Amino acid sequence: MLRRPVRSLLTVTGVGLAVGAVVSLVGIASGFERSFVDLYARRGVDLVVVRSGVTERLTSALTESLGERIARTPGVRSVTPVLMDVVSFEDLDLFGVVVQGLKHDALALADLKIDAGRVLAAGDRQRVILGAMLARNLGKSVGQAVEILEGEPFEVVGIFESYNVFENGAMIVLLDELQRLMDREDQVTAFNVRAAGLADRAAIERLAAAIEQVAPGLQAMPTEDYVNTDSKIRVARSMAWLTSTIALVLGTVGVLNTMIMSVFERTREIGILRAMGWRKSRVMKMILWESVLLSLAGAVIGTVLALVGTRFLSRLPSASGIVDGGIAPMIVVQGFLIALVVGLLGGAYPARRGARMLPTEALHHE
Amino acid sequence: MNNLPNTPLLQAQQVSKTYPDGEVRALNEVDLAIDHGDYVALMGPSGSGKSTLLNLFGALDVPTSGDIIFEGQPLSQIDNLDRFRSEKIGFVFQSFHLLPVLTAMENVQIPMFETSLAAARRVERSHELLGAVGMGHRATHLPRQLSVGERQRVAIARALANGPPLLLADEPTGNLDTANALAILDLFDELRRERPLTIIMVTHDEQLAHRAERIVRLRDGQIVDDGLARARS
Repeated sequence: MLRRPVRSLLTVTGVGLAVGAVVSLVGIASGFERSFVDLYARRGVDLVVVRSGVTERLTSALTESLGERIARTPGVRSVTPVLMDVVSFEDLDLFGVVVQGLKHDALALADLKIDAGRVLAAGDRQRVILGAMLARNLGKSVGQAVEILEGEPFEVVGIFESYNVFENGAMIVLLDELQRLMDREDQVTAFNVRAAGLADRAAIERLAAAIEQVAPGLQAMPTEDYVNTDSKIRVARSMAWLTSTIALVLGTVGVLNTMIMSVFERTREIGILRAMGWRKSRVMKMILWESVLLSLAGAVIGTVLALVGTRFLSRLPSASGIVDGGIAPMIVVQGFLIALVVGLLGGAYPARRGARMLPTEALHHE
Repeated sequence: MNNLPNTPLLQAQQVSKTYPDGEVRALNEVDLAIDHGDYVALMGPSGSGKSTLLNLFGALDVPTSGDIIFEGQPLSQIDNLDRFRSEKIGFVFQSFHLLPVLTAMENVQIPMFETSLAAARRVERSHELLGAVGMGHRATHLPRQLSVGERQRVAIARALANGPPLLLADEPTGNLDTANALAILDLFDELRRERPLTIIMVTHDEQLAHRAERIVRLRDGQIVDDGLARARS
């Protein structure tokens, strides 16, 4: 490795980019997913009720009055209606900004950490609170106006910090205001349901089945399932793994090429080691170890790149509400395990080839 | 060299070797016995089969027919020839074959990795061996920092790493000037005085060959002259 520093460095860089792609892409996708699951768990939401058969969650539409009927289902502690829509601020390159409509007494509002101003109160007309990241991207502070739709200026009464990156990039208005604004009278996107008592998974599933009987067209899902089956999250996860797989194949080919060259150049040395009594398995281990070392060095570089890259991305307005800038330690471990596999795969053939050389032929190799 | 067992250290019994890439018969039904403590020079023109015979003695290759017997045991019946080479054979090559990225001390330790020696003991033993070949002061030098004569001394120390009874030297002085060549042969003599060591040396040089106690000459894959056999007859 040290005898061909440029080649080794290029290989390490190749593996580093591959591992960096895995750690960042999978990390972003799973972080996004995880933050939702955590958010629901934190607010005690056990079930999310949406229109059945809807793949794009934002298009789910339910009648708000269904909430009262769901609340009467035995085992339900509370029901919170939520309406969600998206708006864009094209002049600022901000697209797909989520607007949530909540009732003033929704638990989600009470859970927000208010950085400036106040939370929404009953009767707040044309008033909005902004996620900290969105406020930064819009350049708005408390007291200023945000034109959510053309000719619909809303006064910013508060800026909040959420535990969820998605919410930090979103804004919240009162439910009836959003229904008016979007011309979706009496409509909600979903109901967040809290179960009574400490219910286990089986009890939650029984409650979901009971809620689905309240009215036709209802789908009640445990929050984890709701998040995992979200089409955007699934696409993000698939894209992350697809891109990562391509990167990893390229990384493996890079290691393979380097190790084949290395074994070829050191044919005579391998012959010497074999002549000195080194077993084939020891020669194989030596070559594999080198290959794994290259890959793990790549993993270190890749992880640093991924951590710096996602942190940088999280600060870009266009990625706000998507990238939270943090990567779970488990994803980093996964990156290192993948690098280990890349090293073993890339080194396996050269190692076998090196170990199987006849000492006499290897010694006379020019 | 006293109290040696009667069994020869090494025997070639009807050994033939034909390489698969051609119909060249490198060795043709060779019989040869080497006793414990022998110092043998194998001589012959290029292609006479001397290096092939050395490779077969060192278990680096296998005969097409016949067998090599080491201390009474046919090599064909030994399962682990790697271990056999590690424990029983020391190799010295014309081109030294030191690993360029390892220091002299590390090169000497290469064969020890196949033993149960602890790391500290490996270091200690490599120092001892380098001292024995007069290279103790160059232990931390890389091969490129050594003269050719010094490199061959390190290679000899490496060959002795696991205390083998047999040293196989393929043209050990081929890349050395006369002074260094003679110094290496002096070292061989010294090593044989200090330990029970059998040496088989391939050489082209008649003068150097006479430093051995026995000269075996090969031509066209057959033994045509055996110095010891002639002395005994």
